Amino acid sequence: MRKLVFFLAVVLVCGLLFSQQITLRMIQVFTSPLRTKILEEIISKFEAQNPGVKIELISPPYETAYQKIYLMVSAEEPLDIVEVGDWSLSALASMGKLLSLESYLAKSDLVKYFVPGVLEAARTYKGTAYLLPNAIYVKTLFYRPDVISKYGITSPAKTMDELLEHCRRLTKPEIGQFGFTFRGKGYPTAFIDIVMTSFFDNIDPNCMYLKKDGKLIFEDPRALEGLKFYIELYKTAPKDSINWGFDEQVNAFASGITPYLFQDPDTVGLLNEIMKQGTYKTAPLPIGRGGKAYPTIGFAGWGITSYSKYKDLAWKFLEFFNSPAINAYWCREYGALPVDMRVYEQDPFFKSETFHGWTAMFEDEKHYQFTKYPLDNEAWSEWNELHETTMQQVLLGKMKPEDALRVWADFWKKAGLVKK
Amino acid sequence: MKKSKLRFLMLLPTFILILFVNLYPLARGGVISFQRLTVFNLNNPRFIGWSNYKTIIRDPDFLRILWNTFIWITLSVTFQFLLGLILALLLAKSFPGRGLYMGLVFYPWALSGFAIGLLWSWLLNGQFGIVNDILIRLGILKFPVGFLSDERFAMFSVILVNVWYGIPFFAIMLLAAIQSIPRELYEAAEIDGAGFWRRLFSITLPYIRPTIYNTILLRTIWVMNFPDIIYGMTRGGPAGTTNILAVHMINVVYYRNNFGLASALGMIIASIMTVFAVIYLALLERGEFEL
Repeated sequence: MRKLVFFLAVVLVCGLLFSQQITLRMIQVFTSPLRTKILEEIISKFEAQNPGVKIELISPPYETAYQKIYLMVSAEEPLDIVEVGDWSLSALASMGKLLSLESYLAKSDLVKYFVPGVLEAARTYKGTAYLLPNAIYVKTLFYRPDVISKYGITSPAKTMDELLEHCRRLTKPEIGQFGFTFRGKGYPTAFIDIVMTSFFDNIDPNCMYLKKDGKLIFEDPRALEGLKFYIELYKTAPKDSINWGFDEQVNAFASGITPYLFQDPDTVGLLNEIMKQGTYKTAPLPIGRGGKAYPTIGFAGWGITSYSKYKDLAWKFLEFFNSPAINAYWCREYGALPVDMRVYEQDPFFKSETFHGWTAMFEDEKHYQFTKYPLDNEAWSEWNELHETTMQQVLLGKMKPEDALRVWADFWKKAGLVKK
Repeated sequence: MKKSKLRFLMLLPTFILILFVNLYPLARGGVISFQRLTVFNLNNPRFIGWSNYKTIIRDPDFLRILWNTFIWITLSVTFQFLLGLILALLLAKSFPGRGLYMGLVFYPWALSGFAIGLLWSWLLNGQFGIVNDILIRLGILKFPVGFLSDERFAMFSVILVNVWYGIPFFAIMLLAAIQSIPRELYEAAEIDGAGFWRRLFSITLPYIRPTIYNTILLRTIWVMNFPDIIYGMTRGGPAGTTNILAVHMINVVYYRNNFGLASALGMIIASIMTVFAVIYLALLERGEFEL
């Protein structure tokens, strides 16, 4: 018996000594139960293909995720793969703790199949790729055909004026029916900008807040016109929506209270869970009085920490995540747009009617000009708080739209967006 | 070994612990408040003197945030105390099902502040909220009210929720104090013909006075540093209507990623609370709050 125990102990010690278990630590930002489940499934597939490798997923609550990542990365706490969103890329990259992925990209086949714009997005910070985008996010118009048809509206709004007219027709507060799913808090910037810039015809393709002549949009009379229009649109939304973030917006849309919604493709995954098939559709963003609409391409992906001990293995996971099959699975289940062109050809899901809004916008270069936010500007994160608060003041009538525009123009001048 | 030396050695671990847990973070926060420390220069902070403090004081919204903080604390603590005292007095008597009833009324205290914030943000939602629904069905309202989106109601709504949350704390503390009052005092008072109010003001309140003072002091500090409910319900909105110092500090960290500015705000909060605590304790010493 003693011999047996001794033998087993020796086997156990040898097993522990010679096992080559490698653990990669990975952190996500946009945590939700649905997303975590999908991520865990992808991780298990990778682990199955790579015996001896384990990926430990850290999923902090969304509200505090960025702060956690900033502090972990700055203190060089064990982390190999970090989720990087477009709005956090510059901040994280400027800390010098993200690995340049250029040498890996140079050897990878993935680049050949990237959707146009993805590589440029990866290189937002100083022209170097510090992340590998795994999905792209572009806002489009979601609408409820079942609801709008009850009010004699047969096709979704094609222009902003038409949208306002529809929303006014739909708004019947006495029966709890409204037009537009408004967003007052939780980064409402993109919603305001989509409406305001649609009054322009000369937005800089490289910066949402500049005109092609290099001047700020906020000092142009068309910005005032756009902002006043946005205030009119708010009147067709529940007053309460000044306090709405993503959850309330989607809830109001799904319940039919507000049948028009601007949102990103990750809303698709959620809507497919809570709504019956065919009860919602997508259409291109309405074009404004400037004859255009200016969507931005948002993106999120994975970066590798510069101090990771397992950089090559981490890259292997990133490549696996972006392989057509996994990228299709990720985007289909979660709802974002794939970054690999092959996915659009191979997977019928992305040719379905659900994606009509996006495909129509991508094909219509005349009316849809994609542009970018000044994400590499240090003032960007401060801008979101200022923009949200001042816009709420405008909507409540505590600040004139002219004054808000002046505040915004001064802010970006101070932040050095306009070259003197 | 001398007795005094031994005492010092025995207390040393506690001193070290306090040093690390309390004093170090405070000192570190103080240093950061004089630095430019954002996410862009986390590893390379720069000393900028009083600049962060000047930014805060020059902020046109700062006075309003201070006022909001004052209203938030005063109304929350006052109503939490009054209603907590009533609850404690009611629960001091024995009645059938008292245990179950106590469990139910103390329940809010067991929940996290953020969870309460989120829960009530849905309950008070102007569109789908059950509170509006009940008030409309009862005929009290004709149309839904934007409890959290209407400037007139937002602050009172968050205070109401905070009161709901804080009552159990006062009730628990005061109930424990009330239960320690010797029964003979009441019996003697009853024989002398003292009624409810006389017994309350001559026996109960004087006897539980130390507990009242300590709980009010503690609760005032906690409520000031308690952004959870407001953050979960309004994030300080709409348009800053419910913005208090603690919420402002969170917004400065989460939105602006400016840790230097947030530390300066933290130091301002700590200073205000220190001044309040010193004045409160000094008045207590002088017997200014005698009942």
